[in-house]
Order: sequence, then structure tokens, then C-alpha cells
Amino acid sequence: MIRDAGTTSGTAIRYESVTFSYEGGAEAPALERVSLDVRRGERLGILGPNGGGKSTLLKLTLGLLRGYSGTIEIEGLAPDEAAKRRLIGYVPQRVEAELSFPITARHAASMAASAGLGPFASGRGAREQADRALSMVGASSIAEKPVGTLSGGQLQRVMIARALASRAKILLLDEPTVGIDPAGQKQFAELIQRLHDELGLTTIVVSHDLRTVAATSDRVACLARTLHYHDSPEGLTPHVLAEVFRHDAAAIFGDLHVDAHRAAECSHDHSHDHGHDHGQEHGAQGNHGGGS
Amino acid sequence: MKTIEYLSDPGLRSIFLPGVLAGLAIALFGGVLSVFVVMKRLAFIGQGISHAAFGGIGVAYVLGFGGAAAGAAFSAQLGIVFLFCLFAALQIGFLSSSESGRRGGKGNAQADTAIGIVLVASMGLGSLLLHIAEKNGRVATVSWESLLFGSIVSVSEADAWASGAVAVIILGGLFLVRRPLTFWAFDEPAAAAFGVNVGLMRLVLLVMLALATVTAMKLAGVVLATAMLVLPAAAAVQFSQRAGRVAALSVAFAVAAVVTGMMLSFELDWPTGASIVLVLAALFGAGWIKGRARGRGWSRTWQRAGSR
Repeated sequence: MIRDAGTTSGTAIRYESVTFSYEGGAEAPALERVSLDVRRGERLGILGPNGGGKSTLLKLTLGLLRGYSGTIEIEGLAPDEAAKRRLIGYVPQRVEAELSFPITARHAASMAASAGLGPFASGRGAREQADRALSMVGASSIAEKPVGTLSGGQLQRVMIARALASRAKILLLDEPTVGIDPAGQKQFAELIQRLHDELGLTTIVVSHDLRTVAATSDRVACLARTLHYHDSPEGLTPHVLAEVFRHDAAAIFGDLHVDAHRAAECSHDHSHDHGHDHGQEHGAQGNHGGGS
Repeated sequence: MKTIEYLSDPGLRSIFLPGVLAGLAIALFGGVLSVFVVMKRLAFIGQGISHAAFGGIGVAYVLGFGGAAAGAAFSAQLGIVFLFCLFAALQIGFLSSSESGRRGGKGNAQADTAIGIVLVASMGLGSLLLHIAEKNGRVATVSWESLLFGSIVSVSEADAWASGAVAVIILGGLFLVRRPLTFWAFDEPAAAAFGVNVGLMRLVLLVMLALATVTAMKLAGVVLATAMLVLPAAAAVQFSQRAGRVAALSVAFAVAAVVTGMMLSFELDWPTGASIVLVLAALFGAGWIKGRARGRGWSRTWQRAGSR
């Protein structure tokens, strides 16, 4: 467990014992006592199974959900306050936008920068920021195209440009590689690296895909209702992964045969509590009461 | 040309001019507003709102504010109908909001049912109350055709003034919130994450929808009132994919449809509301065929808008 030695100056986002239950959710809370410091300028990956609370944590961070207990501070501010000041550049999963909307890539990229402008203010500054951001993500050539005609990868670049144009210092990306082909995923990882190096951004990639997280992060936080691990990706042992993904073993190991295989091997070598055959998730679930 | 005669003869002018001016005002704000209605897929919600107006009309008639009311009675009539529209708009609009949709996972299904219920309940209430009003002598005869499909001669001078005021409110309001409103309409979750007050945006649009529907009611009637809030943008998006151009085209189509429709109505003695709506539908059809011929998929925009 690595933490800054209590220095708030180096902390971009601080989660302190965050617990959240959905209304009417009689069962276990969606998030339980999550504590995590996101350091300024780091590349953090939040890895977890579907239904493990990733999107809940994301919505809490963005101020889209309220009613949590514990503390969430973005640069010392509560989430809604941080959203108003556009401290976090949110890059949503691409499916959420209304793609039949009659706007160009440039217009879409300028929206976050211009949303806070007064009605009589000029939009020129926002458009220039959008142009700069589009060139930074290598999307200048598609600036005039309608968003409905863009490919998944192009659209993602436009969404990243939108976040950059808002001048946010923290980039929060939700499942950024869903629906992106392997070549595009590689380009995406390179882009994140470049933005991190050139702009000194803090990047947080939230994904269920181990490869995505490993390729874009220096540090990984594993989230399945509560935080199971956070440290470097290299230190992620198979049994930590197995523990995190026990509800979702088929989904994750389905496209990660090598790791699944290794995980299975490890479980034979070590006789840990959770050293089950990971191909059989029901066995593991029995031990933990299956609170998903 | 009868059009010139109707608008130049002093006696006829007082009958027809208010309707023409109201129609042009409605075209101006309807053209812009429809861009957001189509994009946020509120077309069916618009139908719910306009049918809710019928309940309001029934209440107004029973209370004695029916027909060609003037002065305080006119204000009362407009106010009652607006309250019905507003209630329906907020009720349906917030049921369908993605927030409640996500919480329960059934937001859209609920809204769909809610619109269905509001629509028929209001129509039922309205027709019952109109029947009672007629029976009790609150009004000499109820002109069902005019209430359902609109009539240009029923648009009074006061209605024209009200339309102008609503045009100022809606166009001014849209100008003030155009940036956050566009962001919200394009990508609601992201807009919220970047600090846009999405609840306020939804409220603003729904109140505008209610205002616009009330204004269009006399001219186009309960059934056709939402045409001006849906068709102009649905036609315009077939011709362009830039927001500014779509808004401009949408207004141009709306104004052209009102002018052409009214001329057709005057020259051929056709009902005005129906003429305007059919010109708009023809514009949409032309764009749709053009889009199809080009192999562009923009027809899905209207399919979505229409199916909700």
C-alpha cells in the first residue's frame, strides 16, 4: 500500500472511507470503505469487474451521484464544486452521446470549454482551445466532420480533446477501449502516455480490461465493492486478480487466456485461502457470500 | 389573389392578420425549439403536452372563459391551459429523464405509459367538460373542429400579442442558455460532469415546450399544435449536419411553411392548420428522399424522434 506521507499538496483526488448504497438497495453497498489517494501527475488505472462499483465511484467523483458517506475531495473541493470548476476532464464511454446530433467534431470538442461562458461572451477562445486540443490528439483533419460520421477511435479522440480544451488537469476515462480495435487500443495507450508526459496530466483509466489498465497506468487500484489492492501493475498477482474478478471470472479470463492459465497454475503452487481454480467462479463465490 | 385581399381590406384584415402574425411568431420560435425537441427525442412528449391542453380547455370553458374570450377571461383561459400543459410537461419530462431512468432502469417505459395515460385522460376530461359547458349554456356551441385542428379566424388580437411575447421569451431564453443547453442535448452525462446544471436545462426546455404548445393551440389545434415543434428541425437535419445551419434552415422551413400554408389556405379555402402541417410534412419528405438518395443515414434521426 503506497501513499503519500500525508501531503495534500501532491494529492489530486482523495477518497477517504467512501461508502455508497443505491436507494432501495437492500443488499450490500455498491462501494464500501474505499480509501485511495490519486497523486498529481500519476497514471492510475482502476480495474474491476462489471458491477464492482467502478461506475459508481466514477459518478460520485464527477458529482453525478450524491448521498455517499466518507470524503471525496478533488483538489480539496467536493465533487459538485469540482464539476462546476471543470477540474476533471471526463471522457465518457462513446455510446452515451447523441451521435445523430448535427454538429461537427470541432463544435463537440469546444463544448466543455464554452459551457461555462456567459451568454454574451465570445466563443472564440473556446474554439481556439478546441482546435489546439484536437491537434494535440491528432484529430485536426476531422475537425469539420459531423460527429455522426466518425469512427469509434476518432470519436474518442474528439472526446479527449473536449476534456483537454476544458483545461482540466485530471483526465478521467471510462472504459476507453470498449469497441476499439487492437491497433486503436495501442494508439490510445500511446496518446495517454504522450498527454501525461507533455501536459503533466493526472490520468485515471477506469476499465474492466486488464490489458487496457496495464497499458495506460503506473499504478493500479483494484475495485470490487471495496478496494482490494493498489500498487504497480507488475505487483498484481494472479490471486489478487482472482479475488477481484471472482464475480466476473468468465468475462475477464475469457479474453485473457494466458493470465487465466497462470492464475490456475499459481493456485496450485500456493495454498492461499482464495487459491481456487479460477475457471470455476461459483466455488469462490460460495466462500464470500457473493455480495455483488 | 385572395391573400392580398384578406390582408388589405380593413374588415377582413382584423379577422385574418392576428392569425398570420401569430403564425409567423410561432414559426420563429418553433423553428429553433424544434432542433432541441428532435435531438432530445421529445416529439411524443410534445404530443402528450398538447393533448393535456384539451383538459385545460375543457376546464376553461366550464368556468366560463371559453370561446373568443377577451381581457381577464382571455388571460384566465390561457393561464388554465398553460397550467395543464406545464403539469403534463413536467410530469412526463422528468419521468423520462435519464436520471430517473438510470435509478429505476425503467424511466423511458414509465414515461411512455405516462404519456399514453395523460393523453387519453386529458382528452376524455376535456371532451366531457366541453359537453357540460355546452349543456349548461356556458358557451353557445363548441367548435370541436376548431379546437382539435385549429382555425385562423379563432386567433384574436390578444392571441397574436401573446404569441409575440412567447416568441421573445423563448428566443431570448434560448439565446441565454444556448451553450449549456446544446451540451446537455448532445451528451447529458458529460455535460453534468463538466458542471452543466442538467436538471435546470431539462426544466427550461419543458417550460418552453409548454409555452410554445399553448401559443400554437388556437392556430393549429390540439392535434396539430406540436407539428411546428417537431417537423422543421426533422426536415432541416436532412439537409445539414452543422448546428447553426440546421437551426437557420429549421426557422426558414417553419416560416416558409406558415407563409405557403396560409396562402394555400386563403386561395383554396383549405383549413389553415392542416395546410401548414402538410407543407412541413412535404418539406420533410423531400429531405428524406434526398437523404435516402444520397445514402445518408439521417433518416434515423426522425425515426427515433417519431418512435418515442
